[in-house]
Amino acid sequence: MELTLSDEKVHLATGGRAHKPDAPYVLFLHGSGQSHLTWVLQSRYFAYDGFNVIAPDFPGHGLSEGEPLNSVEEMAQWVLALMDRLEIETAHIIGHSQGGLVALELGAMAAERVSKMVLIACAAAIPVNEYLVNASVERPDKAIAMMTGWGHGARAHKHENSQPGFSHLGYGRQLMAANHPIALHTDLNACNAYHGGMQAAQGLKMPVLVLLAGADKMTPVKFGVQMAQSIADHQLEIIDKAGHMLPSEHPDAVNRPVLNFLRKQTAIA
Amino acid sequence: MSDDYKFDTLSLHAGHWPDPEHGSRAVPIHQTTSYMFKDTRHASALYNMEVGGHLYSRISNPTVAVLEQRLAALEGAVASTATSSGMAALTSALLTLCSQGDHIVASAQLYGANVNLLKYTLPRFGIETSFVSASDTEAMKAAIRPNTKLIFGEIIGNPGLDILDVEKVSEIAHEAGIPLMVDATFNTPWLIRPADYGVDIIIHSLTKWIGGHGVAIGGAVVDAGRFNWGQNDKFPTLATPHYAMDGINFHEEYGPAAFTAKFRAEAMYNFGPCLSPTNAFHIIQGMETLGLRMQRHMENTHQLLNYLEQHEQVAWVRHPDLPSHPDHELAKRILPKGAGSVITFGVKGGRDAGRIFIESVQLSSHLANVGDAKTLVIHPASTTHSHIDAEAMKSGGLSDDMIRLSVGLEDINDIKADFEIGFKAASRHQKLKAAE
Repeated sequence: MELTLSDEKVHLATGGRAHKPDAPYVLFLHGSGQSHLTWVLQSRYFAYDGFNVIAPDFPGHGLSEGEPLNSVEEMAQWVLALMDRLEIETAHIIGHSQGGLVALELGAMAAERVSKMVLIACAAAIPVNEYLVNASVERPDKAIAMMTGWGHGARAHKHENSQPGFSHLGYGRQLMAANHPIALHTDLNACNAYHGGMQAAQGLKMPVLVLLAGADKMTPVKFGVQMAQSIADHQLEIIDKAGHMLPSEHPDAVNRPVLNFLRKQTAIA
Repeated sequence: MSDDYKFDTLSLHAGHWPDPEHGSRAVPIHQTTSYMFKDTRHASALYNMEVGGHLYSRISNPTVAVLEQRLAALEGAVASTATSSGMAALTSALLTLCSQGDHIVASAQLYGANVNLLKYTLPRFGIETSFVSASDTEAMKAAIRPNTKLIFGEIIGNPGLDILDVEKVSEIAHEAGIPLMVDATFNTPWLIRPADYGVDIIIHSLTKWIGGHGVAIGGAVVDAGRFNWGQNDKFPTLATPHYAMDGINFHEEYGPAAFTAKFRAEAMYNFGPCLSPTNAFHIIQGMETLGLRMQRHMENTHQLLNYLEQHEQVAWVRHPDLPSHPDHELAKRILPKGAGSVITFGVKGGRDAGRIFIESVQLSSHLANVGDAKTLVIHPASTTHSHIDAEAMKSGGLSDDMIRLSVGLEDINDIKADFEIGFKAASRHQKLKAAE
């Protein structure tokens, strides 16, 4: 699905299903240097389960046009503008990594627009080491290789995959390489500069599910736990031995608990 | 770790995670046609491509998947799909991209069955091919038409051993908005990873060096994942809603793996060229030692090249690692570990001498295969390429006296001693003929 927002083409994955008038909306927000393809094993799953799925590519990512956005706050504003453009009053917001920071900020900025929130492989702050930030502008291929390497757990490094024939590392590298050349660098700087996460988390009133990866090298699990414990109405699940790219690496460990969490109080059309 | 494991480690481990229930260290043979669904929701999720997993072994199988993922890892690719043979891989890959009215530009230096497929079979379905010399990249460029959907070649041509300049040809293809597909059987990812040189789709006959033991036929289609299928309107079945799966748009939903997603959903589903789990198991056993074997293949090849070049009964020797080969410099650049373990040569005395040589050797096997651990010899003009016409023979660099030698892993001195038997028999035959 494509639409125009601020004169730029925006691509939204809908999980291959047309939206239904009475179905609840779920917005999937991707992380740094990623795209809607982070959610390849969620978007169809939730769409076929009766949700109106929207997995947008942020500007400069995936199939969306435009320059990457410079801050987490801008990204949250962009998501709000997207919801307005689509006339979505409320939605469940699911964010992965940097997408989780955007979700937190969105929850602080417009709590009334967020029904429930799911934060995956996320923490209240995601500082990025300087070496990676520099590599993302000087040697983007190296930065992509580092992030893909660090972002995946032991099973992915052994090329085990729930999708027959697929390589997590190979797919991850090409997914990131297809973005705007400065998308990753801009995203990493945005993560580094965002300090409002803990305050936003402490202010959340909606139910929040936090899914963390036990072997996450990008957002170590202890920081995710700190964030979860600061949220009033939270559920916390830690997936043992999993890497940062939980949605693609362990789709079952994401889909089932998220579905159960969203279904609890949501009547599916 | 921040990087991928190295080649020999991937050859042993990639694609397999020992199952927690039984702890089998070796890859188990999942000799089953079908798989138990957890519940109806799980079943529908598999059918709708919502999640990964196995539902029927024509589409995918856990043993076959280990092989596929291992090969994708070795190639540095996004995905691969195994098939029942190399020809099944090529045919299915071409039909995944081409429809009636489409056109292919192909190297003229190809394996006989590849030539037959492109020249005689596909035209029956409205898919035409223009054959162009692999070394004439300008002609390749000129042969591209508005309806051309891909360029196809063999990195090391069989049996002419011409080298495809994959960097140049991939540039030509990409400038035209089409992918480069290559048959990479003769090189294996140990000699060159074609994706690193701009190749988009890589075809393998796994029967050859990758299996290496000569006990199982298999093939694979590897997806480098770098081609943007949505950049133009040439690939509507990939980048617009497809008839399958409620109008799935593979380019939008699978991005870098769009080709593979379509290949599995259409080619595996509708044509059914699946690899048997037992053959996959056999091929996996071979893959585990691919690096070690390729190293020995190349050592023996280089020693035999020296031997043949100096032998008084050898009329000519052709191999890209020899300075006399027209593609020697190109081979040095893109195949620094060596240009494969197939050598072609002519025995003095022409066709008859070649025949006597092949019939006299006792260790080398006379059969229609390459890439076995054992040394193999064949006379292409009367066997593998006997069904192609004289013109195609000539453009493919074949001659009547050509012997194709696939260098094995035996002790090099035993191979040389065996060849001496063949050369002596050929010499005796020549002398008798001269005396008549």
